[in-house]
Amino acid sequence: MTQLPSAIKPQRLTKRERLWRDMRRAKYLYIMLAPIVLYLIVFKYLPMGGIVIAFKDFKLGRGILGSDWVGMKNFQELFRSPDFKLILRNSIMLNVYLVVFTFPIPVILALLLNELRALRFKRVVQSVLYLPHFLSWVVLAGILIAMLSPSSGVVNRIIVFFGGEPIYFMADKTWWIVTFVVSSVWKEAGWGTIIFLAAISGIDPEQYEAARIDGASRFRQVLHVTLPAILPTVSILLILRMGSMMDVGFEHVYMLQNSYVRSVSDVFSVYVYRIGIERLRFSYTSAIGLFQALVNLVILLGTNYLAKKVSETSLF
Amino acid sequence: MTTSSRVRRGNKIRRTTGELVFDILNTLFLALFAFTALYPFLNTIANSLSSNRAIMAGEVYLWPIEINFEAYKQIWTDPYLFKAMRNTVLMTVFGTIINMFATILAAYPLSRTYFPGKKIVMVMLTITMFFGGGLIPTFILMNTLGLMNKFAGLWILSLFSTYNMIVMRTFFQGLPAELEESAAIEGANDIVILVKIMLPLSLPVLATLTLFYAVGWWNSYMGPLLYITDPEKVTLMLKLRQLLWAAQTAMQQINEEGLMDKPRVTEEAFKAAAILVSTVPIIMVYPFLQKYFVKGVMVGALKG
Repeated sequence: MTQLPSAIKPQRLTKRERLWRDMRRAKYLYIMLAPIVLYLIVFKYLPMGGIVIAFKDFKLGRGILGSDWVGMKNFQELFRSPDFKLILRNSIMLNVYLVVFTFPIPVILALLLNELRALRFKRVVQSVLYLPHFLSWVVLAGILIAMLSPSSGVVNRIIVFFGGEPIYFMADKTWWIVTFVVSSVWKEAGWGTIIFLAAISGIDPEQYEAARIDGASRFRQVLHVTLPAILPTVSILLILRMGSMMDVGFEHVYMLQNSYVRSVSDVFSVYVYRIGIERLRFSYTSAIGLFQALVNLVILLGTNYLAKKVSETSLF
Repeated sequence: MTTSSRVRRGNKIRRTTGELVFDILNTLFLALFAFTALYPFLNTIANSLSSNRAIMAGEVYLWPIEINFEAYKQIWTDPYLFKAMRNTVLMTVFGTIINMFATILAAYPLSRTYFPGKKIVMVMLTITMFFGGGLIPTFILMNTLGLMNKFAGLWILSLFSTYNMIVMRTFFQGLPAELEESAAIEGANDIVILVKIMLPLSLPVLATLTLFYAVGWWNSYMGPLLYITDPEKVTLMLKLRQLLWAAQTAMQQINEEGLMDKPRVTEEAFKAAAILVSTVPIIMVYPFLQKYFVKGVMVGALKG
């Protein structure tokens, strides 16, 4: 793109002239980017500025600038509130369960799928496993709740058939957490394999060849060729995942939640919605939002720092 | 199959007994896993076609019992559901077009090697991926700008996804540079290069991202929940949620009042049918786009 005029005009340009020339050449690029930059400023950076209401007593009628400063009052109230301890605990707990149980599954699934030799069967399995990713939590939760119903649900029918007692999956606190984690596996485990399968497909076949000549069994090939090859992808994803340890998807919880299990299922997103939007406590919930975003950022940067120290892979 | 893969995998390879056992168990396991993932949908299809009595008695597993189409007839004549469907189609079609337009506008300039200011824009974008104002400040902004109860507000608010934009940018960067260079020598400007050369070569990634955006709009719940309160503009997912969960509460009441028969039984099959009807568009485009999205995700995943 920058090739042609330099051939025509060989004279030397000052720094400023060169900048002007480059900018003139890029004029259409600026026209394209202008709405994008405007959007970023208004819809991404203005709300970041709007966080100041966490330090104010925000009144809709007086606007952000007109509302009174209250310093750390919202944060003091927040840290003292029993609700905060609960949602912090639940957010961490559910995220730890999600990472421990749902993070390794796509890796294992991808390794197993990669070992399948019947390609058509492999494609069918992949299609089936990707499907739930494309459906909303409204739909998936609707199906789940019907299936897990203690009276008419299929799951409890099967449990009863084998002589068990019906389980109140949605109303029992432990079973609710199980349901939450399993539903997450259902929706995203298959989709999560794509990225690992992509990494696997990038492995040079000669590496397997060499391993075989050395007499490595298929299991050892997986262990010494496939697994090391996808490890960088795994660690990048894990670092990224650490950046959302305070987030639990709003829709996922909102759809499955009910009054019986509130004490294990209330998390930041749902709480901010209920208290902030429904009860209009804007300043208080902005303080929660800021706390959540900062903790996420700190964990992300911390993990990234650690990853850089102990291995080659890191985000930045 | 075995012979050919043996040849492909090298000449003196044979499957040991252990490997054979593993292959069989692996196939069985994945088949079972896939069936478990699919079964809830099969059960829902069966429910939607079954009699209410059979559902409540827990007789429906894989096949419809006492097959009938009452639930679908009921949906077909439900004016609210029809209106919600129409709103969602509107929101999805325009939302996707706007998303694609904005994604291209951002991805093309950022795929160029250099221009003054590129770095600033990239940094601005990257920051938004890791930090944001959060729900409440955004909500106040939407209120202040008068964007409540307008689909246009939702479209502007989620103008494009940074992740999808990076996927497209990576794809643009992967196209052969000679093509644009020769066009540039012939005097084509950036817009001509984009429209005449880059976009026609980018159909797979355009298809993939169109699918992602369209599915995103179709399924979107939180956006409409926060910003659309006018019942005239209710979307399908909001309606579906109301319908599914209202049925649940109504059922509890009926149970408590000891009325066990009619209103309760119509609900289950109706719910199943409503769920299916609201997923039909996704299920329909899914097989056609599948071959594209796997490629599209891989491009973004490996280089992004």
